Amino acid sequence: MERYGQRYYEWIKVDKEKCVSCGVCVEYCPRDVLRLDNQGYPYMAYRDDCWYCDVCTFMCKRKAISLESVPYLIK
Amino acid sequence: MAIKRIEADVVIIGGGSAGTMAAIKAKRKDNYTRVVVLDKGPIETSGAIGRGMDALNVVAVPGYATPENVVEALTKVTEGVLDQECAYILGEKSLQCMKDLEAITGRKPGDLFPLDEYGRYKPRYLHPVDYPLYMPMDGEDIKRALAREVRRLGCQVLDRTPAVKILTQDGSVAGVLAFNIRSGDFYLISAPAVILTAGCAGKFGMPRDGYLSGTYEFPGNTGDGYALAYHAGAELVNMECFQTNLLMKDFNGPACGYVVIPRGGYGVNALGEKYWSHGYWSGDMFLAVWKEFQEGRGPVYLKMDHLPEETIRGLEKILWGTERTVRGLFHKQRNEDYRCWDSVEQGLEEISLCSGHSGSGILVNKDTETTVPGLFAAGDCAAVPHQYLTGAFVFGAIAGEKAVEYARSNKAKKPEIDLKEAREDFFKPLRREAGLPVEQVEIKIRTKISQYLTPPKSDPLMQKMLWWVERMRREDVDNIKVVDYHDLIKVTEVKSIIDCAEMATRASLFRTESRWGLSHFRLAYPKRDPKWDGKWVVVKKDPNSGEMILSAREVPKYKWNFPTRLEYEYPEVKIDIGKGYAHPPNDSTDPWVTEKLIREGLEIPPRMIPEEEE
Repeated sequence: MERYGQRYYEWIKVDKEKCVSCGVCVEYCPRDVLRLDNQGYPYMAYRDDCWYCDVCTFMCKRKAISLESVPYLIK
Repeated sequence: MAIKRIEADVVIIGGGSAGTMAAIKAKRKDNYTRVVVLDKGPIETSGAIGRGMDALNVVAVPGYATPENVVEALTKVTEGVLDQECAYILGEKSLQCMKDLEAITGRKPGDLFPLDEYGRYKPRYLHPVDYPLYMPMDGEDIKRALAREVRRLGCQVLDRTPAVKILTQDGSVAGVLAFNIRSGDFYLISAPAVILTAGCAGKFGMPRDGYLSGTYEFPGNTGDGYALAYHAGAELVNMECFQTNLLMKDFNGPACGYVVIPRGGYGVNALGEKYWSHGYWSGDMFLAVWKEFQEGRGPVYLKMDHLPEETIRGLEKILWGTERTVRGLFHKQRNEDYRCWDSVEQGLEEISLCSGHSGSGILVNKDTETTVPGLFAAGDCAAVPHQYLTGAFVFGAIAGEKAVEYARSNKAKKPEIDLKEAREDFFKPLRREAGLPVEQVEIKIRTKISQYLTPPKSDPLMQKMLWWVERMRREDVDNIKVVDYHDLIKVTEVKSIIDCAEMATRASLFRTESRWGLSHFRLAYPKRDPKWDGKWVVVKKDPNSGEMILSAREVPKYKWNFPTRLEYEYPEVKIDIGKGYAHPPNDSTDPWVTEKLIREGLEIPPRMIPEEEE
């Protein structure tokens, strides 16, 4: 997600080498946080709905997505 | 956009632990039953156990404990405010629940639950009674297994489609209105039977770290179950018995005492002193924590450093591998290590309403029937206190079967409702040109809940909470603007939170005593009062006036005479205006001003009154 040309702060990390844009993380996020960007990579479209539950990492068979951090306010 | 219509026999609102089990049991009882499961997310990962769960916190395993032992424990921790029959069923059916879970997950005995040397399930001690009622579980993937079975059995699952209203006709259930948060599709699902398994009010108070979704409970649980039931005419109880859990501070996940305590850990204060007698999440334990902070001995910690290295490694595996798996990352970012005594700081974080951990919920009997014909409830939104995940499965299973039986002999009534108007009304926040951001309205009500309702409860503050409830309904709710379907459901969620705030406040003001330790520590009545022994506060919507009405009601007669209290005393408090202060009418002869002016030898100036505008 971008604003004024800058990417929003978010705490998921996507390995673009491994990600095949299958959308499993988007489909199984229990809070409907993720969407695929115009290049097909997941981003946190509804970042502040994230429960940092780690389901995206767990469901990705290719281990292409992970939590880089817990949300800043919690960290 | 057209309204999509579905005809069903049983609609399940919420595909979490209770909801998926209800769907499975309904279909297994009668495969021809048309079962629809609604959920805010995908049922594979949504709800409290989406990322797994590490225990069934209350079970009666033959050879170790009996269902009567469960009744004894629950009678004690609820201080006698319970339906003992429900507690008995919880214990009685817990063994079947474990076997069901093994079958659904395809796990062998000893794999999902640990066994002893005789091949029996091996529970551990946790509750403040002399029986082991806590069953560890290696349940990382049970939600996926439940979801797989729900789909295999042919239930119609509408993922990301939460219910927004329960329709009734002539006092009975007629169906459900639902909405898809991605496509915007609006559904009318007619059915004679509805099972409410929508979870607790986890988004209620505001976490002190300020992160809206940083709640202990799954943040999709916004009290919709309570609000839907309330508006459908059902009765709710224990709404004054708040959940005030002792959590891993800031992370707001379980600390996780229930994993650590049965393995030898315990809580200490800032001086390193053990300060609780037991680690079970009952109100007396939370009161003990509160006193530590009041008396200057906070912060408090969960101590593990004295445990053998092997145990600590085992704890790390469980705590970082199940339920809230990001704990490991959280500690790593703070350079915390369980081998240090003060590595897990704990705190009494946001208050919430939840029958599973505490007591609040929709009034149900042992068959999960609510007071509305055709409406069943199970899991965290149904008032079986301290039932935990076990109760979600046990009563979810019962609800599924009972709803099928009900649907066999009752046809869905045609609801008298203007559907187009209902849909238009629902979509208004999307079509409004401008308005309040929904997250700000949520922040506002939840910070007010934290400020005015967090125990110890003050009457004047609670009166002010009611003022905020009324004001936000009048000024804010109909002025929210959202830009997409994803956020549109949050308008319903905010309304549910406000409804829950009113129920919690009015019920708290109605129970003129303190009970359940910190959970209902009311400063105006700082002691237990025997006249409230064995009594519920019942909340209900008056069908004629639409007003909230409250009453006291005896719980069903006890079958067992177990002790109805925990060993604790409320602190002595000096209260002068705890019951509220009635200010005299404002006028120019305020006695304080009069006295001041006379003392200073001045004349009392006439109050300046601006001229009224024409």
